[in-house]
Amino acid sequence: MALKEKDPVSGTNLTGHEWDGITELDTPVPWAARWALWGSIAIAAGYWVFYPSFPTVTDYAKGILGYSSRLEVVSSLKEAEAERRQTFAPFQSGDIASLAKDPSLEARYGAAISKLYEDNCAACHTAELTGQEGFPNLTDNHWLWSGTPEEIEYTIRYGINATHDETRMAQMLAFGADEMLEKPQVTEVVEFVLALSGQDHDALAVEAGEVVFEENCAACHGDDGRGGYENGAPDLGDDQWIYGGTRNDIYHSVYYGRQGVMSAWEGRLDDPQIRMLTLYLLWSAEDAPS
Amino acid sequence: MQRNLSIEDLVIFSALFFVLMAGLAILGWGVPIAYVMHGWLIAAAAGWGLLWMLGRACGGAVKIPLEYNDRVIRFGIIAALIWGIIGFTVGDILAWQLAFPSLNGDMSWSNFGRLRPVHTSGVIFGFGGNALIATSFFVVQRTSRARLASETLPWVIFWGYNLFMVISASGYLSGITQSKEYAEPEWYADLLLLIVWIGYLTLYLRTLAKRAEPHIYVANWYYLAFIVVIAMLHVVNNLAVPVSIAYPKSYSLFAGTQDAMTQWWYGHNAVGFLLTAGFLGMLYYFLPKAVNRPVYSYRMSIVGFWGITFLYLWAGAHHLHYTALPDWVQYLGMTMSIILLVPSWASVFNGILTLNGAWDKVRTDPAVRFMMVAILFYGLSTFEGSFMAIRPVNSLSHYTDWTVGHVHAGALGWVAFITFGTMYKLVPWVWKREGVYSLKLEAWHFWLALIGTLIYVGAMWNSGITQSLMWQTYDADGAFLYSFLDSVVEMHPYYVARAIGGLLYLIGACIGVYNIYMTVSGPEKVKTQQAEPLASQPAE
Repeated sequence: MALKEKDPVSGTNLTGHEWDGITELDTPVPWAARWALWGSIAIAAGYWVFYPSFPTVTDYAKGILGYSSRLEVVSSLKEAEAERRQTFAPFQSGDIASLAKDPSLEARYGAAISKLYEDNCAACHTAELTGQEGFPNLTDNHWLWSGTPEEIEYTIRYGINATHDETRMAQMLAFGADEMLEKPQVTEVVEFVLALSGQDHDALAVEAGEVVFEENCAACHGDDGRGGYENGAPDLGDDQWIYGGTRNDIYHSVYYGRQGVMSAWEGRLDDPQIRMLTLYLLWSAEDAPS
Repeated sequence: MQRNLSIEDLVIFSALFFVLMAGLAILGWGVPIAYVMHGWLIAAAAGWGLLWMLGRACGGAVKIPLEYNDRVIRFGIIAALIWGIIGFTVGDILAWQLAFPSLNGDMSWSNFGRLRPVHTSGVIFGFGGNALIATSFFVVQRTSRARLASETLPWVIFWGYNLFMVISASGYLSGITQSKEYAEPEWYADLLLLIVWIGYLTLYLRTLAKRAEPHIYVANWYYLAFIVVIAMLHVVNNLAVPVSIAYPKSYSLFAGTQDAMTQWWYGHNAVGFLLTAGFLGMLYYFLPKAVNRPVYSYRMSIVGFWGITFLYLWAGAHHLHYTALPDWVQYLGMTMSIILLVPSWASVFNGILTLNGAWDKVRTDPAVRFMMVAILFYGLSTFEGSFMAIRPVNSLSHYTDWTVGHVHAGALGWVAFITFGTMYKLVPWVWKREGVYSLKLEAWHFWLALIGTLIYVGAMWNSGITQSLMWQTYDADGAFLYSFLDSVVEMHPYYVARAIGGLLYLIGACIGVYNIYMTVSGPEKVKTQQAEPLASQPAE
C-alpha cells in the first residue's frame, strides 16, 4: 500500500478514498466508545440471562428469574383489591339505604369519591355535577327516576336506554316527525308547557294545548305535567330543563322527540364504587340550595 | 449519445398504463366522492405521464447532456418546502386545538383526528421524504461521478411520490384512513407508493452501479438503507384486504397483538430508517462539504452504520412495553434499544468531530450552525430514546407528552435542522447562485427555530412528567389523588407554551422559505470554466 496522506490539521492519516472532494480520516474508534459498546452489550446480556429474551423453536428463553409481567400484574391487582376492600370497608355492604344515613362517610371518603366521579361521570355531567345540554343537573334534587338511594344506585348500575338487559327505558316520542300531531297542535302544546313552567306564553293557544297535552302527554308526564318516576318523564313545571326550556327548544323536543342515554356501569365499576357514587350524588344534592 | 426506446421505457410505460387503468376503475366504480376524486387524480397523472412519454418517443432521439441531472432536484426542494410549510402550519393549528379545544371548528374535516395525520405525513413524508429523495439524487450523482441512470424514472418518482402525498393528505381530511399511525393511507395509495418506491430503488442501484468511483461513499450506504428498509416496512405493514374496488376501506392481514407489533416494527423503523438513516446520509455528505473537512473517522462510520442498521429492526417492541405483547419480545426490544445508543452516538461524535479545524464556520455560517445543532439534537434524542425504551422508565414516559416532546426533539431539532442547513447549501448549488440571499435572515431562521424547539421540548418534558406523576399518585386509601380531568387542566399552560414554540418555529421556516425564494430568483453565478468533474459515461 502506498503511504497514506496525512491531514495537516489533526495529523491523522487519511484513508485514501475521495468523493467529490470529501475525504475520510482513518481515526481509530476511541477506547471510550469501544468500552461503552461492550458495556451496553454486557448490560443487555445480563437482561438476557435474568429475564425472558430470545425465542427458541417452540418456546422462548425464560431467564433465571422466571419473571412474568402477567403474574406480576395479577398479584399486584390482587394486593390492591385486598387493600381497597379494607380501606373502603363500609361500602362492601349492600345496604345502600343505611349507608346513606351515615353522616361520617362524607368527610372520610368524599375527596376520594370525587376523583372517581371526575374520572367516570364528569365528561357528561361536568366536574361541577351541574350537567349540560342533554345531561341532567345532579345537584338540584330534581330526579327523573326518584332520588332514593336504591333508585339512584339502580340507574348508575344499569343505565338509561343502555345496552344492559335491566336498563331503564325512556323515550320522548317524535310527535311531529312521526305525524302523531299536526304542526299547529305541536305549537299549541308547546305554549301549554311554557305556561306550566311559568314562562311567557300565548294565552290563546294554551287552552287548545291543554287538550293536546291530556290526550298525548299526560300518560307519561302526568295530568299536572309534573312528571313521573315510573317512566322517567321529567317534571315540566319546574325550571330545570335537560334540553333547554325556550320555546324553540321545547318545540324541537316535541317535534323530533328525545332519547338520551346513560351508560350502564355494572362490570366497569365494581359494586362498592357504584355505591360510593350513589352516596356522592346524594351528598351533592343535599349540599345544593334547592 | 443517442436515446432510443429501451426496455426501461417499456416497463415504465406499462406501469403507468396499469396505474391509469386502476385510476379509471376507481373513478368508474368508486362510491365515496373523495375516493372517486382520487381516481380522477390518479388517472389524470398517469395519463399525462403516458402522453409525455409518447410525445418524447415520437420526438425522435434526444441527446442526454453530459452533466448531472439537477432539474428534478430543484422540483424536490420546492416540494419539500411546500409540504414543510403545510406540515408545520397544520402542526401548530393542532397545538392550539389541544390548548383550546373549541378551535376544532366543529367541522368533520377540521377536527384534531383528521388534521393530525396531515401534520405527521406532511412533515415526515412530504417535507422529510421529498428532501431525502432530492438530496439523495444530488449525493449519489456527485459521489458516483455519474448522471442519474434514467431520464424518465426521476420524474416518475418525483410526481408519483407527490401524487401519493396529495391523495393521502386529502384522504385524511375526508376520513379515508386505515388508522395505522404514520401508515394511514389506504390500499390504493399504498400500491401507488409501492410502484414509486420500486422505481426509486432501481434508479438508485443502477446509478451506483455505473459509478466512476472505486468505493461507495457512506452517505450512499445510509440512503440505500433508507430506501431498502422503507420498502420492506411499507409492504409488510400495509398487507391488507380491500373490501372492494368501490370503496377505499381495507382490513389488515394482522390482528390483535400481531397487528400492534407489526405496526410498531414499522413505526419505529420509519423513525430509524427515514428520520435517522436517511438524514444521516444527508449529514455525511453536506457537513464535510460545507466545512471542507475530512470525515472524522471512517471506522466510526462503519460502527455507526452497521450498529444502526442491525439494531433498529429489533427495537420496535419498546413501543409496546407493559401490553399484551409477550415479555420476551419486550425485553429483546428493550435490550437492543440499549445497545443502539453507542452506534448512534458514534455517528454523533463522527459528525461533531468532523468540525475539528473548522469550528469558526459554526460562528460565521448559519447553515453549518444548523447542522451542528442538528447533530446535538440527534445525540440528545437518541440518548433519550434508548433511555425511554427501558421498561421502568417507559412506565413513567409511556402515553404521556414526554413521548411527544421526544419525537419533536428529533423531528424539529434533528431532521428539520439538518434539512434546512443542507437546503441553504444545496439551493445555491443546484440553481447555480453565488450564495444564499441573506445570511442575516438565515441566522434569524436559526434562532427562531432553536428557541421554538427548546420551548416546545421543554414544555412537553414538563407536561409529560407532570401528567405521568399525577396519574400514578394514590392517596393513603389507595384511591387516585387526581382525576384524569385534573391532569388535563394542569396541562393547559404547557400546551399554550407548546403552541407558541411551534409558532416561532413556523415563522422561522417561513423566513427560510422566503430567503430561499429570493436566492432562487436572484442572479445566476458568473460561469467559470472549471466544470464539475463528471465522468464521461460508458455506453449503456
